[in-house]
Amino acid sequence: MSDFRERAVLWPKGRFFEDFEPGDRFEHHWGRTINEGDNALFTATTLHFNPRYFNAEYARAEGHPGVVACPMLVFAIVFGLSVEDLSESGGAFLGVEDLTFQRPVYPGETLTARSVVLERRPSSSRPELGIVSWRTEGFNQNAERVIEFTRTNLVGRRAAGEEK
Amino acid sequence: MNHRALTGSDNYFEDFTPGMVVRHARGKTVEAAEHVLLTNLVMNTAHGHFNEHAMQGGLFGQRMAFGGYTASLVIGLASQDTAENAVEELGLDGIRFPTPVFAGDTLYAYTEVLETGAAGREDAGVVTFRHWGVNQDDKIVFEGRRRALIKRRPQSRP
Repeated sequence: MSDFRERAVLWPKGRFFEDFEPGDRFEHHWGRTINEGDNALFTATTLHFNPRYFNAEYARAEGHPGVVACPMLVFAIVFGLSVEDLSESGGAFLGVEDLTFQRPVYPGETLTARSVVLERRPSSSRPELGIVSWRTEGFNQNAERVIEFTRTNLVGRRAAGEEK
Repeated sequence: MNHRALTGSDNYFEDFTPGMVVRHARGKTVEAAEHVLLTNLVMNTAHGHFNEHAMQGGLFGQRMAFGGYTASLVIGLASQDTAENAVEELGLDGIRFPTPVFAGDTLYAYTEVLETGAAGREDAGVVTFRHWGVNQDDKIVFEGRRRALIKRRPQSRP
């Protein structure tokens, strides 16, 4: 029996530029329940100083049932859930346009994400990469949309990616 | 608890005038443990942000911070001044990352007030900000616009 490393076949992750046709839709994996600890850690370490995200009494006085999940955390989780499907093959995150936060999210709620391919084009300066834009939406457990944004990334092209 | 005393009195809707530009007082050094932890916390699976070994052979020779982390930290550095009295975050636009961020970098934030306007409620108004994040070498690592609903200054004593 040869060494396990010689017998091993890579179980690859991610998609490449050629895999994205405008209009293609992705229901992203996993989902994620935001818990109090996530929100406390995130707002504390990113210094997000609005007490509605970390002072339950203040948040209740403002009309919420308890602390509100920091919107930047909601954005980062919905983005994070989309990475394997959309951008894991490498290439820089170029930007975000037209992001709207549509309803508050509270700890205990569960986020899921889906995306649609808007457009793709080759990179003129980096032939091993292409540029892809997606519209990504995040939903709570009641299928209410909480966030929506357009993201653009450099994405590896298949020929280059297969060498990785 | 006197709720009004919990937030500043100089960062209500009326305090923001289009054209004003501020440099926020605090910076923060990016710790590897922290940017990796937050990348993992939000389920971002791109190992360019958390596999130092693989990235040693890459373009930058090290892990690069996730843009979602950079954006959150820069907006965080600007938050006491521009979001402490926010009732609601409305949106972001024109988000760009001109320079990559690595562990050990120190980020600072700047903000320009672009526009102020009425909202669909009496007690708050909409402010559009442009935020920038710069590193210790004064290179821009983040820029973007942010719209938030900001409380108007309360008229009566608490």
